[in-house]
Amino acid sequence: MKFKSKYIVPVGADGIYEIDTGKWRTERPVMDKDKCIECGICAMYCPVFSIIKEDEKYIITYDYCKGCGICVHECPKDAIDMIPEEGK
Amino acid sequence: MKAIDLVSKTEELISPGISACVGCNVELSLRVVMRVLGPNTILAVPPGCMGGVGVVGWDMKSGAKVPVFFPLLDNPASMLAGIKLHYDRLGEDVNVVAFAGDGATVDAGFQCLSGAAERGDKIIYICYDNEGYMNTGYQRSGSTTKGAWTSTTPVNKEGIGGKMQNKKDFPMIMAMHDIPYMATANPAYVQDMVNKIEKAKQVDNGLAYIHIFNPCITGWGVKSEESIEVARLAVQSNFAPLYEVENGNFKLNMNPRNPKPVKEYLQKIKKFSHLTDEDIEELQADTDKKWNRLVNLASL
Repeated sequence: MKFKSKYIVPVGADGIYEIDTGKWRTERPVMDKDKCIECGICAMYCPVFSIIKEDEKYIITYDYCKGCGICVHECPKDAIDMIPEEGK
Repeated sequence: MKAIDLVSKTEELISPGISACVGCNVELSLRVVMRVLGPNTILAVPPGCMGGVGVVGWDMKSGAKVPVFFPLLDNPASMLAGIKLHYDRLGEDVNVVAFAGDGATVDAGFQCLSGAAERGDKIIYICYDNEGYMNTGYQRSGSTTKGAWTSTTPVNKEGIGGKMQNKKDFPMIMAMHDIPYMATANPAYVQDMVNKIEKAKQVDNGLAYIHIFNPCITGWGVKSEESIEVARLAVQSNFAPLYEVENGNFKLNMNPRNPKPVKEYLQKIKKFSHLTDEDIEELQADTDKKWNRLVNLASL
């Protein structure tokens, strides 16, 4: 990863510092597309911005999702459920 | 900009994997703030939760795709004032932003923030108020609510203890500095927050201050999935009202017709679990008093 800044300060000579927060998850949110109305409320409240919009549809990505359950709690149509991660 | 479009139309400027607690709504606020402000930004994150979780980076790695500083707890505003003056001299228009906790704003960093507000330095100062020094183990701060349990105001087995002093009404203190723009925000009202950040970005004649009320999951004892709901209850019960002050004119952004009792908000939080009915009544009376004062100011 390379970031060259136009500012005088160095921006991360070795790139971006990141932690594999996907490993923290004990439960994963799974979206039921039959119930989903594509309102985007889950994506708006996801603290990690793990829910992205692709081809006008919201999908959950699991790379950094910490499994907090805010999307499940805030969904107006109960279209998201938490299921336990395997091996945890 | 619509809050719904944040996901698809803006760029993520913070490292995707930062070690904020599971369900932390300060992380949400930071990402929203940075997505709205855009890449033409210089960020300062003083010691606190967001400094600790890796936004300022580690070793030779950075936690953000914009220049990010790690000032001391007590000098973010004055340091940014100098940076802004430098870019003014170069003739470049850059958003110079502090994202500080309540310790670095209400307590330790107050003198430099007050100075910068009085001098009219053109910076944006954003405070995430999680009512305590949550990064170092939930110690009390000037912003902690009266009666709350913290590690330095413990509660005994009989339920006696908690903070004895009142919460500092900090947004009002900043409004009384007569700065061009002061607003309070809440992670449960993202659209409102986006509007306010955009307004703060437009300010060019002085300091813009935004006070974000962020319930802390780990320190307050809130369930991670209720993170946003508790924040919303704080607004609906008038405990942390949403308002803005533009050039001295107060405006209420959220005026609940039938405000919920403060008890409903307090019940969700473990740090208030020892409060008696009398304590809750006292907090309710205090909330009503502050709300009426605000309504009076807004009707001037």
